[in-house]
Formats: sequence, C-alpha cells, structure tokens
Amino acid sequence: MAQHQHQIQEFKIASGAGRLLIGATSAKDTVAISGSVLGGPNHLAHSLETVPGIAASLMDAGTTKRSKSEIRESLADRGISLSFWSSGDRTYFFANCFPENISFTLTLIAECLHSALFQASELDKAVVRARGRIAETKSRTGTRASIAFAQSIYDAKHVNYVSSLEAREKALGKITRNELKKFSRLLGRGGLVLAITGDVKVPAARKAAEAAFTSLPEGTMAPALKSANQNQNASREVLVRIPDKSNIDVILGAALPLRKIDTLYYPALVLADMLGGGFASHLMRTIRERDGLTYDINTSLQGIAEDTDGAFRVWATFSPELYEKGVETIRKEMKHFFIHEITADALAQKKEEIIGSYLIGLSTTNGLATVLRGLGEEGHSVSFVNEFPDIIRAVTLDQVKEAATLIPLTKLSVAAAGTFRKA
Amino acid sequence: MARRTSVSGVTYIREKGGIREYRLPNGLQILLVTDPASPVAGFMVTYRVGSRNEKIGYTGATHILEHLMFKGSASFNKENKSTVWHLLETKGALVSATTWTDRTNYFEVVPREHLSTAIAIEADRMRTARINEKDRHSEMTVVRNEFERGENLPSEALDKQIWALAYEAHPYHHSTIGWRSDIENVPIERLRKFYDDFYHPDNATVTVVGGFNETEVLAELKKKFGEHKAHKEAYPSVYTEEPLQEGERRAVVERAGSTDLLDIAHKIPGAAHADIAALIILSLVLSDDKTSRLYSALVDTAKATNVTTTCWQFRDPSLLTTYVTLAPNQTLAEVENIVKDEYKNIAQKGITRDELTRAKRTIRAVIAQRRDGPYALLSSLNEEIATGDWTRFVTFPEALAKVTAADVKRVAATYLIDRQSTIGWFRAIRSKK
Repeated sequence: MAQHQHQIQEFKIASGAGRLLIGATSAKDTVAISGSVLGGPNHLAHSLETVPGIAASLMDAGTTKRSKSEIRESLADRGISLSFWSSGDRTYFFANCFPENISFTLTLIAECLHSALFQASELDKAVVRARGRIAETKSRTGTRASIAFAQSIYDAKHVNYVSSLEAREKALGKITRNELKKFSRLLGRGGLVLAITGDVKVPAARKAAEAAFTSLPEGTMAPALKSANQNQNASREVLVRIPDKSNIDVILGAALPLRKIDTLYYPALVLADMLGGGFASHLMRTIRERDGLTYDINTSLQGIAEDTDGAFRVWATFSPELYEKGVETIRKEMKHFFIHEITADALAQKKEEIIGSYLIGLSTTNGLATVLRGLGEEGHSVSFVNEFPDIIRAVTLDQVKEAATLIPLTKLSVAAAGTFRKA
Repeated sequence: MARRTSVSGVTYIREKGGIREYRLPNGLQILLVTDPASPVAGFMVTYRVGSRNEKIGYTGATHILEHLMFKGSASFNKENKSTVWHLLETKGALVSATTWTDRTNYFEVVPREHLSTAIAIEADRMRTARINEKDRHSEMTVVRNEFERGENLPSEALDKQIWALAYEAHPYHHSTIGWRSDIENVPIERLRKFYDDFYHPDNATVTVVGGFNETEVLAELKKKFGEHKAHKEAYPSVYTEEPLQEGERRAVVERAGSTDLLDIAHKIPGAAHADIAALIILSLVLSDDKTSRLYSALVDTAKATNVTTTCWQFRDPSLLTTYVTLAPNQTLAEVENIVKDEYKNIAQKGITRDELTRAKRTIRAVIAQRRDGPYALLSSLNEEIATGDWTRFVTFPEALAKVTAADVKRVAATYLIDRQSTIGWFRAIRSKK
C-alpha cells in the first residue's frame, strides 16, 4: 500500500495555546486554510442554540477595524473564499486563497473571530435569512427525519439533542446583540487548531499564523461539560408527515454508549462500515442491489466525540409504497448480518477499504486540511496521519463482535419523514 | 503530423497544458496527466452519449444504462466475485459514474497499485456488459427512487419545468433522469440497442491522471481496449435544432411547502461559441460572491436566502439561469423584477473594472482547484470532453482572460432579453396550521 506523500509539520502558536499544522503539497496556486477555536452551541443553554450560527454568519459583516463592504471587497479582490460556522464545542472557519494571500487571509480570520461588530441592522437581516432557511427545512424530508430521530433517542439535556424547528424559530426572535457579543467573547486562541495546506512555504505560513493569532484573547479554554444520555433505548417510531413528497427518508438506530476514547470506538466504526458503508456493504448488496428497494442506504456513527456519546444510525430512502417493506427488510438484514456476516474475511476486506479510502482522502488540498484540523481538534499528534491505518489494521474480529453487542437490535428507534400512504 | 510512441500501435496526437493526447487504431482517444509522486491515480471513461441522445419513450435511458453497467461484464461479475465493488471499492477506491446531457462517465480513483484493475474492468464492460431484463427489473425501482428523491426538492421540480418549457423540440427538453413513466417502462431491448449504438471505443475518451508510469499505462490501454473494434455504423446524430423562441414563457409549480422559488432562464449559445467566455464572466458578476450584483440586491437585503446564476456550458445551445430562494414574506413578482432590473442595468451600463477583475480572480482560483487531486482533474476534463473539445480545458481560460467589460455588456444586451426568456415560479402552498 502506497503512503501519502505530504510533509506535515506542526508548531505551537498563539502563546502555546494553538496548534498549527502545515502540509505542503504538490498543488499549484491554491491554499486551503481550515481551523477552529473553542466556543460553540454546546457552551450555551439549548434556548440560545441559534446564537452561534447567527454570530458565525455575521463575522464578515463588519468588524471594529473594517466595514462590511471593505471586508467583502478585499476578499473578492484577492479571490479568497471564506466561511464561518459553529457547531458542537467549536466555531470553525475555512478559506481557499492564493499563496500570496495567506497572511491577509489569516489576519482577517482572526479579526472576524475577535472583533465582529454584530450591528443591529445586520442582525435583523440575518434573523430573516435564518427564518427562511428554517422554512425551507420544514419541507426537507432528510433533515426532518434526522431531527425526529435525535429527539427520539436523546434526552433533552444531551448535546446531540436537536430542538424542534418551531423552538428554533422562537429562539431566533429573541436573539440580541449582547448575546452575540457575549458569545464572541468565548472565541479566542483557546483550543485554536489551524491547518494550512497546498502551495505553501512553511516558514512564511508559520510566521503569518503567529502574527495573526497571537494577539487574540484567551477565550474559552475547555470543551463544554457534557452529561451522558439518560434516555433508555426503546422501539420508538416517529412519522413526520409532509404533504406532496414522492420519497420518504427513514432513519433506524439507537443511542450508543460510546465515546471516541473508548476501546470499542474504532471496532464500532468498522462494524458500521461493514453493515452499510459503500456499495460492497451488506445493506447496499441486499436492500438496493438484490431487492431494488432504495437508491441509497448507509450506516454511520453519529454525534460521537472524545467526550460525547452518540448514536448508531441506518439511513435510507424509499418510495411511499415501499416504505413498510423497506423498514422490515432493513431489520431482517441487520439481524442476519449480526449473526452471519461478521467474519474474519469480511473484516479484513473492510479494513483494507477504509485504509485505502483514507489515503485517497488525503490527495486533495482541502481534504488534507480537513483531516489535519480534525486530528488537531481531537488532540492527536501529527503522526496520527500515518497511525490511523495502523489503528484500523489492529481492530480484531472479537472487538467488532463485542461492539455489535452494544447495538440493541430489538430496541431500534425509527424516524421517517415524507408523505405516507396510510393516514 | 501525428507520430508514433514507444508503444507500437499507440499514436501520439498532441500535448496541451501538460495533458498528452494519444489515439488507438480503433479510434479510442486517450488523455494522460502524470504526477509521478502521487500514490493515487484516477481513471475515467467518458462516452459521448447523454440524455440529448434520447427520444420520447426512452427518456432517462442513458442513466438507466449507466446503472446496468454495474451489473457485471463477461470477465468481471458477481459469480466470480470480481465486480468493480469487489475488486476496487474494497481497496478504498472512489468508484462511481454520472450521466448528463452530453456525456456519460465511469471513473475510479484508486491507490495507484490498483490502476490496472480499473483499466481491465472498464475495457471489459465497454463491449461485454450484461444488460438483461432481470437486472433492469430490480434496478428500475432503484432509479425510480433516485427520481423520487429529486422530485422531493422544489428546486428540482421547478428546474425540470424550466427546461421543458424553454425547449420544445431539442432533447434538452427533458431532464437526464427522464420522465417517470419512461423509467418504469423502457424495454430492455431499447437499452441494449442504446448500448450497442453508443458504447464503442471510437465514441469514448479514456483519461488517466495521477501516479502512474506513462509507457506502462499506454501498453495496458492498448492491450485491454485495443481488443475492441471501432463501430461499424455511423453514430446516430442529434439533428433537431430548437426553433427560435418568439416570446417570454412562464411556468408555475404549486406544491405544499413553506418557501417560494424563482428561476429565470435565457437562451445562450453552445459551449463552443465565442460568447460563452463573456457569459461566464457575466454569471460571476451577477452572483459569485458577497459583492456580486444579485447577492447584494437580494441576499444582503434579506429578500432571499440564496441566489445562484449559472451559465450552462453544453454542447448545443443552452441556458443562463438565475435561481432564487425567497426569504419569508417576499413576493415572487418583486424578486423577479429585481433580477430583471440588474440584467437591464448591466445590458445598458455595463460592469465596472473592479467587477471584471474580481470575476477573473475567481476564475484563477477555479483553474487552480480543478487540478487539485485526481478526482477534480478527471471531473473537469470530463465536462470539456462532453463539449466536444477537451483542449478547451487549456484554451478556455485564455479566452476568459481576454474578456473585456465591453464584451460583458454586449452579451448581456444580446442574450438577457425578455423574448428569449423562460420564467419559473415555485409557489409554496402553505398549510393553514
């Protein structure tokens, strides 16, 4: 198996609070900047969960140093794309720029994180746009099923619980500038992870990152405290009825008492992929290939972090007339898989697939930046880029079988959204 | 004059922008872009057939056939556990295929040691794919579910109406996924004929990018694809031309929902036309970034949550579309007028030097990013092959660089005219709750 060819270097920046990972690649004339700082929805009460998203959307809408038009024109003049968003414990940023603009881009990112103005007129417009996006979401079967599933399996205090669209709409109406400013004060150099990849010269990029982020205040320095899910798994079924839909999105699954630091995390990851990861997986071979019931079906671990338990999910889409048959067949095939298909051969094949796929993911500037940011956030050393394949290789059949016992086949919850045949 | 290469029977044609073109005696076009240090290679076969080659009764056939191409071939099939999924996806490869108006492509991005397997599989299914009724029957519901997933999206429902209304005669009238009844009923004989009509080496381009040895790969391609003969018959041509449009057309789609959508389309020439470069710049000036005309007029003012202008670069005359997702409490008529006012503004007053400079900066970024990794390069080359001239990958950036502000004003005045437009409204029927 070939190895990735990038030289990756790591440095401490921002008075030791931040990690800088630089991967120079063979790409020409393009640089990816992917990073995050601590401070996200998890640090706020559920009633304030829309605050970080609105704050992130307004970070380029004026700072104490530059007006909105100055920021946006300076980005456009240089051909820079820049976005901010917030989820979980963090606020994220991603940019693509030309090599000569790395310093400018980093300086602007730090400025937006720290000194966004959140002007009242901009807040009002951001709230209207957010209401519009919620209105769109109301007719999206996939998102509605996902929300219903999260509400079904997590207790309301869990970080993976998702509020209803109505609750989010209500919360939007109450957002104030003070709350945005208060939230932005959480965002400093605490937990800063910065990945720069592509057509980059390491010394210059390091100097630019140090100059841009050192002056940031400390900000919040720790992830939010989380409580484990208190909901017991049970066979709940939620149908979200949306008129005039030709397709039903369905999610089956259960809460999983597993965090990334647990021994069975990687075995569970491999297990999920064996069941429903890619065309060669069991559910694709049976539900799609053999029975023609769906265009797509996949399995994933959702919402699991170093310090957060999450869920095991199977997601699929069905015609309304095939919905009942589809769900029944998924249950049947999952049972069959857990009894008969977790074999040494299947495991060896899946491990090779995951390792090969990981290597391919590193072959783009943006992909490498995302991987580096992720390992930085999870506290891994830079050598993790090469260690990940070894971690997957080390997963044993016994571990995968043990991980399978965590999934309560008789207590799977179902959440589906669309137009159902039966009232 | 074309010259031979170190691999006998493979003819060197030309090199442009680091892309070398070769040809086999059976007419197969080969494009190679090497990055010797890369541990990853990308392989793609592009067939010059798409939904423009379909007719009433078998709309969506190109796409269904694409699905059936994964059911196995003479040497690579389920019985001997040697499908592309068994042999390549299990090695971590990115394996897929896509169908669009002017082309169908099959591709594998693989750890480089598996490149020869990708070549062997694609060569085999070029002429020995299993196209049978049993597989059509089970795959029909899969494709129908893909159609249904698209129908779930108001944007896709509106888009289909726009193209169906803008094109009366030309096959761009129907979407690539086809009409539902055609998906359900197209006979297997029709699909087999479609395969026999279009899947031949002289109607295909093979592209290899990333980490590989050029001589070895050429030898491999000659060995595997060289087995096939050029098609004995002329390829069915698409001679239908869209008649001149003589007035604005309007479509309304009404469905349950919470969000209204607007789509405005204008007729533009095909990708090979000299005006396309200026039309691309125009589309960027209209909606590329947060300084663009329509973003400023609609999203920044909270009249819309999203606006996208696209200059569709197709082989035959196509459309320039602006698609707007309205914010709550806005009216379709008002938003439509705002878009049209911006069009008129550019047609009458032109664009600024700053706007032109910014658009060209965006193009520089796009040019860099389309060579970033094997998939990006394959994907970009694929769309140029579809237009009928892969060298456009190299020459089109040169054409874009030469566009002036006066060119943009001229194409806006020429093409953004009401009588050449098709307007679509998605009117959401809100529940009374």
